[in-house]
Amino acid sequence: MTTVVHAIAGYFFMLLVLRVLARRPGSQMTPSDFVLVFLIGGVVLLATMENDRSETNAVLTVITVGICHRIVSHLKQRFPRVGALIDGTPLVLLKDGKWQTEAMGKAHVTDDDVMAAARSKGAKTLSQVKYAILERNGGISIIKNNG
Amino acid sequence: MPSADSESPTKPVEDSASRVDDDIAVGFDLAFQRRWWRFEFAVWTVFTTLVVLAMFGCFGRGHFAKARTAAHDGSLDVQYDRIERFGSPSVVTVTFGPRAIHGGKAQLWVSESLMNALGNQRVVPQPVEAILGDGGILYTFAATKPPATAEFALQPRAVGGANLQLRVPDSETVNARIFVMP
Amino acid sequence: MAPVLRAIFGYCFLILIVRIAGRRPGKQMTPFELVLIFFIGGCTLTAMVGDDRSLTNAVIQIVSIALTHLVIIWAKGRSAVFGRIVDGTPLVLMDHGKWHTETMNRMRIQGNDVIAMARDQGFAALDRIEYAILERNGEISIIPKSQE
Repeated sequence: MTTVVHAIAGYFFMLLVLRVLARRPGSQMTPSDFVLVFLIGGVVLLATMENDRSETNAVLTVITVGICHRIVSHLKQRFPRVGALIDGTPLVLLKDGKWQTEAMGKAHVTDDDVMAAARSKGAKTLSQVKYAILERNGGISIIKNNG
Repeated sequence: MPSADSESPTKPVEDSASRVDDDIAVGFDLAFQRRWWRFEFAVWTVFTTLVVLAMFGCFGRGHFAKARTAAHDGSLDVQYDRIERFGSPSVVTVTFGPRAIHGGKAQLWVSESLMNALGNQRVVPQPVEAILGDGGILYTFAATKPPATAEFALQPRAVGGANLQLRVPDSETVNARIFVMP
Repeated sequence: MAPVLRAIFGYCFLILIVRIAGRRPGKQMTPFELVLIFFIGGCTLTAMVGDDRSLTNAVIQIVSIALTHLVIIWAKGRSAVFGRIVDGTPLVLMDHGKWHTETMNRMRIQGNDVIAMARDQGFAALDRIEYAILERNGEISIIPKSQE
């Protein structure tokens, strides 16, 4: 009983915390971002498992989290609004050579981050970049100018 | 002309994966995938059932797991978990009836399964005396008058069924069947 | 004996869970999904280790897991069917401008995921794409239309 309730609460708590934290590029996560991820996971983990180290408890917790995840992904699939709420929407950071400063400020993305993404796509200068888009997972997509 | 690596076996490169529209090589197999999706659905159905059962405590630590049994002569009332979990703490509460207390003390005999299968960690309050024998332990508590309650903190260390027997000397034996989940 | 069995059980249980929890684009994993993976692993870990926090136990369980992993890899190499069961098959999400809706719904992939992947590979819009394929590792491969 408590296990299942704790697992559900833990799942949605983590979802909320990581949603309101700044979106950081999944593939470009810095070590401190990783530490944070493990820290959050570990703390919630300890609270969920309490003093019950039985196999039953572990199986039930994992299954509960799995079911939560499945329900959430199902809702995302059915209702695009839910998807936007949970995953956010892509944000345009750079458009036709102009920084979209509001989006960049709110999303805590610096022009260095965009430059790094542009370099990884083989663009030498920003003038070669037509669009830079902050994806929902935190990655930055670069679309180059043709030619 | 034999080269240095002529010994190492080779195999011609060919697309072993099935093609879509004779165009692109992916090991795409919708029939297999449909079967898998059916399996996936079945697994999730079973899992959901398990979690719902767990919410009600069918696997311990919940409403259904709680049990209570009493001696007909009113000497003893035992609250325990009929389903325990391996290594996970729980409490058995024993309430003595008026018949159990005389001469300033209450006595309680408990079967050995309390120690070995159910892993008794401590008895609250501290018994005045513990005497071994008769396949169990006879605890003596200092007591005045009812209601009087003693608690055993358990941490089961054997998976499977366990039979816990409790009795006030010269009274009826109370039997508690306990199952320990892994 | 018990620690070994617990380790093997934990490994196989995790394989099953991760396999049926749905393939998510690996590179597109959100930090939340990363936390979730750690969380699920940690839950299993608690039961696997139990009260035995000795070095011996740790070594025994790590070796058990490594061996189970080797056995699975070996079995995947031996039997194509087993490989498909453990890893699944690649799935076509889109070809020639048509979404495969059944596959997308079942795999909980949204059009947006494919579009994001296309952008990531530098395509501005979907009409430049011939195929989108969900790979076994959850990556979405984008195959552009051949230049004519």
